[in-house]
Amino acid sequence: MLKPLIFVLAAVALIALPHGLSFSQQEILVFLVINILLVTSYRLLTLTGEWSLGHVVIMGVGAYASALVSKELGVNVPVSILLGGITSALLAVLLSFPLFRMKGFYFLIGSFAAGEIIRLIWKRFREPFGGVRGISGIDPMPDFSLGFYSFDFFEPVSYYYFAGFVVMICLWVLWRIEKSPVGLTFHAVHWQDKLAQASGVNLRAYRTLAFAIASGFAGIAGALQGHYVGTVNPNSFDIEVMVFVLTWAIVGGTATFYGPILGCVLLTILNEIVLRELGFEQARPLIYGAIMILSILFLPNGLESIVQKVLPRKAAPSPERKAAA
Amino acid sequence: MTDFLEMRDLTMRFGGLVAVDTLSFKVAHGSIHGLIGPNGAGKTTTFNMISGFYTPTAGQVLLRGEDISGLKMHEVARRGVVRTFQHSTLFAELTVLENALVGTHMPFRPNIFAAIVGWDREDRRGAEARAREALDFFGLGDLVEERAGDLSHGHQRALGMAVAYASHPDVMLLDEPFTGMNPEETRQMMDLMRRLKADGITILLVEHDMQAIMGLCDTITCMSFGKFLAEGGPAEIRHHPAVIEAYLGGARHVA
Amino acid sequence: MMELLAQTGLNAVYAASYISLVAVGLVLIFGVMGVVNFAHGELFMAGAYAIVALYADMHLPFFIAVPIGMLFVGLLGLVMEWGLFRPLKDNPLGGLVASIGFLMILQSLAVMGFGVRMEHIPPVTQEVVRFTDKVGLPVARLYVIVAAVVLLGALWYFLKRTRFGWALRASAQDPEAAALQGISITQTARIAMFIGAALAGVAGALTAPLVSVNPHMGHSVIVTAFIVIIVGGVGSLEGAIVASVVYAFVHTFVTTFWDGVLADIVGLMLMLVVLIVKPTGLFGSADRA
Repeated sequence: MLKPLIFVLAAVALIALPHGLSFSQQEILVFLVINILLVTSYRLLTLTGEWSLGHVVIMGVGAYASALVSKELGVNVPVSILLGGITSALLAVLLSFPLFRMKGFYFLIGSFAAGEIIRLIWKRFREPFGGVRGISGIDPMPDFSLGFYSFDFFEPVSYYYFAGFVVMICLWVLWRIEKSPVGLTFHAVHWQDKLAQASGVNLRAYRTLAFAIASGFAGIAGALQGHYVGTVNPNSFDIEVMVFVLTWAIVGGTATFYGPILGCVLLTILNEIVLRELGFEQARPLIYGAIMILSILFLPNGLESIVQKVLPRKAAPSPERKAAA
Repeated sequence: MTDFLEMRDLTMRFGGLVAVDTLSFKVAHGSIHGLIGPNGAGKTTTFNMISGFYTPTAGQVLLRGEDISGLKMHEVARRGVVRTFQHSTLFAELTVLENALVGTHMPFRPNIFAAIVGWDREDRRGAEARAREALDFFGLGDLVEERAGDLSHGHQRALGMAVAYASHPDVMLLDEPFTGMNPEETRQMMDLMRRLKADGITILLVEHDMQAIMGLCDTITCMSFGKFLAEGGPAEIRHHPAVIEAYLGGARHVA
Repeated sequence: MMELLAQTGLNAVYAASYISLVAVGLVLIFGVMGVVNFAHGELFMAGAYAIVALYADMHLPFFIAVPIGMLFVGLLGLVMEWGLFRPLKDNPLGGLVASIGFLMILQSLAVMGFGVRMEHIPPVTQEVVRFTDKVGLPVARLYVIVAAVVLLGALWYFLKRTRFGWALRASAQDPEAAALQGISITQTARIAMFIGAALAGVAGALTAPLVSVNPHMGHSVIVTAFIVIIVGGVGSLEGAIVASVVYAFVHTFVTTFWDGVLADIVGLMLMLVVLIVKPTGLFGSADRA
């Protein structure tokens, strides 16, 4: 009885949330929702024990693909977002051939190199990627009305509802995957790849599967962002953004599904709202960097470890400890 | 059904070192077959070649007449040849039940789309039943919620076997299953292996514990310095002059 | 055409010099501490800003400013060792993330102290060593080449001929065995971090008058250094130097004859190919990672 009630209350709170915020905070909220999908998809990849530095570029692939198919081929926007995700997933399958010859630190650096190459290709080829300035004038999500609510997608609140809906579905799918035998196999591949293999698990296939799923959802996140902002360019997907994703995941902790989301939400609030309000404009990266260092020093298992202490429950393994580097 | 599992001229070279040299022997269906030899005889290397962990430099592993040498470990496993590992190779961070569930990967192959939509309830139930069955068989039924890494050494070895058993194997390759067990645990484990045999599972094991080997095996193959030395029943091997020489003389050379 | 080739070759030698200073430091830190220092490009940047402050703003002589800058960046390295890498020595991923945090702090400090705009630094010397009418080597670049040769030579001597160097190499190969031999791991980590950072700092200081100094200049430096240490083999100092030369030549020639973006792509492709074909690099054998 309690559970459905909590869900209803949470839903009402999420629907009401933007109405208490300023316009710029509403915009931040849209990005926050998109970033939650980005970091959650990243966690799926870390389940198999690999840490990529190319995830944000893969997100960009989804953004570019969705922008291009809607602009050049006239595909409807919600459909193009799906196509963007599929493009990212397919590219991940392609990239898995060189990248999965590497593990750990080498995979980290290899994924970084692959991402930088993709970014340089966007920069170099004016047709169709628009070079350094990227693509602008991306088709927005078409407005529509549900009778009781009219969606105007230049309004952040409308886009928040739309993106929130899409992200909720994606999170649900990611959650289902993790709690399924497939998710268990991802854990198995991470913790003892030899024993997993001896149990008949095709390591390559499962690593690729995790990479493709994670990339597909990152691509959807990228496409959602592209159609909101209206432009994409190579610099919106550079290593600095990747650093943010990495920080959300690590500060939040990757042992639980909610850890990275927690990291993303709290750091975004801290970074965008608190520090901005306090007027630390130039010093924001400094404070952010200091927080990263302090949290890795004093909270090595992430914010989720605090939550777990407060709400004692069976903890899933933390992939960080044994992971790369 | 004599040619169930056959090793034919298996050879493994590491650089200049010949670890296993044209080794040939056959494992009969439904038997418990021991592979023994002094330290450094190449037993584990042979094991790794059969299970697909290494690709032999030369020679073949034939399963029901099919050459399985050079296949990847999961491909060998899918043909019914499942191995355990020396030491306690387990998913230490997962629970005992989850460990066994990974073992059911082959009979209940996960399907991601069914998993998302929720059409795999039958499979999940079946996998859990099989996992619990395997755990019960090895006396771990009361420990399902424990973290595998927290188990005692003997229980960890048993769990390693349960993971392999959960996959309904035809052949179990057991790498030193009695290491670190006290006599009581050894005796229980021997009983379990006899029951596995009664289930129709063929067992090939590498072991140092001579008492266990002699009491358990139908056939024993002895190797020394990578080469085939002798083969026969326990009584035959116990009194085989070459085997005695290898163990006594070999100890002096190898140690 | 011959002249263009010769001139491009000289440019490549200059590029190889400062790249190898940065890459060797990165390899040294990775070898001894097992941690990937993402802030290495920002240490280079810090060296360059030391020149902005000491030489351009405070008008100290260039050759006094450079050693001070080198020392300053070396001390930054010690701060990193003490504050980040030592507490996180059992957590390589944590060390990497902490170094990213440090990177952001350094960048932010540069922005706050000097602004985001490019810094103009008066040239140290306008002289050019002329080989022919069209082929010449600016003396400012010659300084970089000479410094690289001298410093890397000194490092080589230090590592191969002194007791400290022996301890450093021993703990890079096997930290536990080294500890059993009575080598202080903390001590060797400190030395490695100081040297590694100081090399990046001196490279930044010497090239400051020749490049555009800005708070984000570290990015391309660290990318280049990564390529070089992967191609050379992670953990191999000799490999890092050879790979620096190879990379500098490839990159400079592709830039001259085609364009810069393509040169970056070629460089990254080179690294990917090495990662695929021989992940331990052209000179690496030990698999540390």
